[in-house]
Amino acid sequence: MKIGAKLKDKFDLVIILSVIALITIGIVAIYSATYNHPTAKGNLNKQIFFVMVSFLILFIIYFLPARTFRIIAFPSYIFSLLILVAVLFLGKTIYGAKSWMSIGAIGFQPSEFAKIGLILFLSYWLTDSKRDINNIKDLLLTVLIGFIPILLILLEPDMGTAIVFASISLAMIFWSGLNLFGLFVVLSPGIILFASLFGTIPFIATLLLMLVALFYFKQNLFISGAVFVVNLSAGFIFDFLLKILKPHQVKRLQSFVDPTADPLGAGYNALQAKVAMGSGGLFGKGFLEGNQTQLRFIPEQWTDFIYCVIGEEFGFIGSIIVLAIFLVLFLRLLNLASVADDKFGKLTIIGILTMFFIHFTINIGMNLGITPVIGLPLPFISYGGSSLVTNMFLVGIVLNIYKNRKHHVV
Amino acid sequence: MSENYFGSAIRRRIVFILIIGMIAIQTFQLVNMQLLEKDKYEEKSKDNSIKSFSINAPRGIIFDRNIEILVGNKPSFTIQITPSKYNSENNKIIELVLGVNSGYVNKLLKKFRKYSKFKPRTLMRGVDYKIISWLEENHSMLPGISYIVETKRDYTFGINAAHVFGYTKEIDRKTLNKNKNKYSIGDDVGFSGVEKKYEKYLRGEKGREYYVVNARQKIVGRNNEGKNDIAPIKGNDIVLSLDYETQKIAEELMNSSKGSAIALDPTNGEILAYVSSPQYNLADFAGVTSTALWDSLRNDKAKPLFNRGTISMYPPGSTFKMLVAMAALEKGIITPAYQVNCKGGLQFGNRFFKCTHFHGKVNLKEAIEESCNTYFYKLILKVGIDNLYEYSKKFHLGEKTGIDISPESEGLIPSRKYYDRIYGKGKWTDGYLLNLGIGQGEIITTPIQLAQYTALLANSGVSKTPHFAKGYIESLSNEFIPFEYDSIKVDISKRTFKIIQNAMAGVVSSQNGTAHGVKLDEISISGKTGTAQNSHGKDHAIFIAYAPSVNPQIAVVVIVENVGYGSTFAAPIAQKIITTYLENKKNSISELINFDKKEVN
Repeated sequence: MKIGAKLKDKFDLVIILSVIALITIGIVAIYSATYNHPTAKGNLNKQIFFVMVSFLILFIIYFLPARTFRIIAFPSYIFSLLILVAVLFLGKTIYGAKSWMSIGAIGFQPSEFAKIGLILFLSYWLTDSKRDINNIKDLLLTVLIGFIPILLILLEPDMGTAIVFASISLAMIFWSGLNLFGLFVVLSPGIILFASLFGTIPFIATLLLMLVALFYFKQNLFISGAVFVVNLSAGFIFDFLLKILKPHQVKRLQSFVDPTADPLGAGYNALQAKVAMGSGGLFGKGFLEGNQTQLRFIPEQWTDFIYCVIGEEFGFIGSIIVLAIFLVLFLRLLNLASVADDKFGKLTIIGILTMFFIHFTINIGMNLGITPVIGLPLPFISYGGSSLVTNMFLVGIVLNIYKNRKHHVV
Repeated sequence: MSENYFGSAIRRRIVFILIIGMIAIQTFQLVNMQLLEKDKYEEKSKDNSIKSFSINAPRGIIFDRNIEILVGNKPSFTIQITPSKYNSENNKIIELVLGVNSGYVNKLLKKFRKYSKFKPRTLMRGVDYKIISWLEENHSMLPGISYIVETKRDYTFGINAAHVFGYTKEIDRKTLNKNKNKYSIGDDVGFSGVEKKYEKYLRGEKGREYYVVNARQKIVGRNNEGKNDIAPIKGNDIVLSLDYETQKIAEELMNSSKGSAIALDPTNGEILAYVSSPQYNLADFAGVTSTALWDSLRNDKAKPLFNRGTISMYPPGSTFKMLVAMAALEKGIITPAYQVNCKGGLQFGNRFFKCTHFHGKVNLKEAIEESCNTYFYKLILKVGIDNLYEYSKKFHLGEKTGIDISPESEGLIPSRKYYDRIYGKGKWTDGYLLNLGIGQGEIITTPIQLAQYTALLANSGVSKTPHFAKGYIESLSNEFIPFEYDSIKVDISKRTFKIIQNAMAGVVSSQNGTAHGVKLDEISISGKTGTAQNSHGKDHAIFIAYAPSVNPQIAVVVIVENVGYGSTFAAPIAQKIITTYLENKKNSISELINFDKKEVN
């Protein structure tokens, strides 16, 4: 018991056990989706290899001295920007996005590793004692830190990852104590953009609401005017996006707004995923027995649609267990954000939580037909090396912060 | 927000609510999809992965009255091509083996491009067995080429009867659109004759096989190990009243002539033999019928596609004389003793109506036996058009018989109204009638009408609608279910029939009878010769007959086109048909008796 208590003190078992559970479920689901597949048969072995690599990385990170992350925060951000620029020139185009790069035989997604850089640098930047997030200049600089990688990722273009970056930045700014007006300034263009997707009338209505809100905040005319202009232009971003987005991405957006418009085209995956989920019922059709999965109605199911393998073959019970494990993981991370000793650690954990949570929300959502099909993997479960290594790197940081929670790092 | 500082409690709470809220929404959706709407998704998932294929049912067999096979089924090989597996380098060799023009395979592949390339498609039907063995041997070199065994009609049982059986043909688009629930594209359907009339009995019910397919519609296995499959139900067998031997003889006898021969059982209207000559060869219609064959049949001057027995209309000639006589007797206009002195014809107005011979004094019996025209010229003037029309209608002449194959012509019996319409009221005289008295002129009847008329004469006015099908054998229960037909009753006295039947017996038995040449010692035949005048060429020979003279069992009509006089050409054919049927019947009855004796022993 003594050893157990000591281990518990040094090592957060809730985090590591839920991560191991998710990875195990992922391996089972990947096996089911690929064992009978002509081209993806090898994916299970690759995934197992990446699991081992990522655990190694996790332990390396875990044992690093606490201050390492502050030290590497800025360099890793700069490195992230560099590889994001590099991928635009040297990258390989897969599914219409130039998001892959290879070093030797190993292919990876720079945007995955850039998440680490963004989280660490934002943490470092926002917890600097000189910074005041409610100062408009500091706020704009912070937004800029998030916006540069987002812009690079949109050029690939990879909308899903861009959303993740935006969410991470937003959540970390929010956690740093941004006031309501500041929040309004950051959020309103996004809301306007979203409303404009659904047509001119929702766009104008939302814009009018923004105007009312601006009057309520009673800020000076210059700032109010500037915010309004930003909001107005946000409404036209969609038209601009239509120009830079690839046709398949535009279709995905449209099929989210109206999923029945093109059931065999962009909406096909979403529809088949729903059929797989729904037909699973309470107990599921049984391991390797899901006809949607085994007959390959959902392309590349081992990546973004892995959750509906679980839904089909293990039913409601299996699906709800996955949600429950994620819930435990998220709440524990939120809890650790308070337990951590310093602001840098706390904010880093919030960034990591946000990243996992946004992946989770969009991925589960697209399997359940409540969010558009945006290519984001389900953390720890979906097949994919870059994603797994990044996620385990981040878990390593969390565990490191937990281990060092009682020592104030200078 | 009052607590605008790092990680304030309210911000914590907001993040907490976001997490709980999102997972609550997802749980709600899970409950909705997997528990509440499960059935809907399950249905869709099944639709996705289970595809059914229909299995054609073999058509019912066509039997004769003694359950001898007339039309059967035989296996037919159909070569199929699965475009996804096929290698077009093999086009040349396949086209060579099948004996088709080069480009045949490509043309079909192009047509199939619209459909799933994983499903086998018909490349050629009715392929010879030799080609199939070649295919088997070279199977490994011909990916995507396979064959299936279907059934097609087998006409090798010795009877052609093309116009009776009719043929089956791939269903046309129009018929298909009207019957979408019953048929699908490529199905064979009865297009004429019995095949068409009894299509719903012969068709059978298709079976279904269920297969599991993947997202690309590729078959990966059977659904539920084939337990849900529905086996096809073979069509019901139709039992015809045709008598195999009689039909065979009739076909042989008519083979070199144009015309028709119809034999029926006068007591019940069952058709024992039916030939419309020339026929087409039904075997040519069993597989795919080439356009060249179609064209040659259509353009043939002898009109082999034309069903003479029900469509052709001829003047009944002297066979009509009995009708004139009956009208006269029934109306009390004459007695059988009424005599006419025939001097080789009759002068009416400024025209002389010829007789065949100089008959001298003849009574009714002699007039029929010797077919004296003069007698009937005189008689028709007494009977008049209205009585003639009335009695023609009693025998259903000039109207469709309602026989169970189509199409059928009506023919024509002129009435007063008809003449008024054609020539104008008061503008025609009794002179117009003289020709009608000997069955010429405007009167036209079909062979099947004459057959019915003969049956009614034979059986003293009682019979049934002439028909081919006695009933059907229900495929599942193996039970014979007879069809019902309308009775016909001619309202004429027994006495009159007796007089006419006597005269008809005399036609054959009397020394002066016009058909004395077909007299037999063992079978008494009654009959009447006739000649249908033909303005386009040589006259048509007609002979109607029944036998035995007492309690007749068979009534026959033979019409031979363009040969002249009736007794020479038509009567011997009728005689042979009669003897074949009656002897055959006697044999089968004695066989039956012997069989019973054996049982007793």
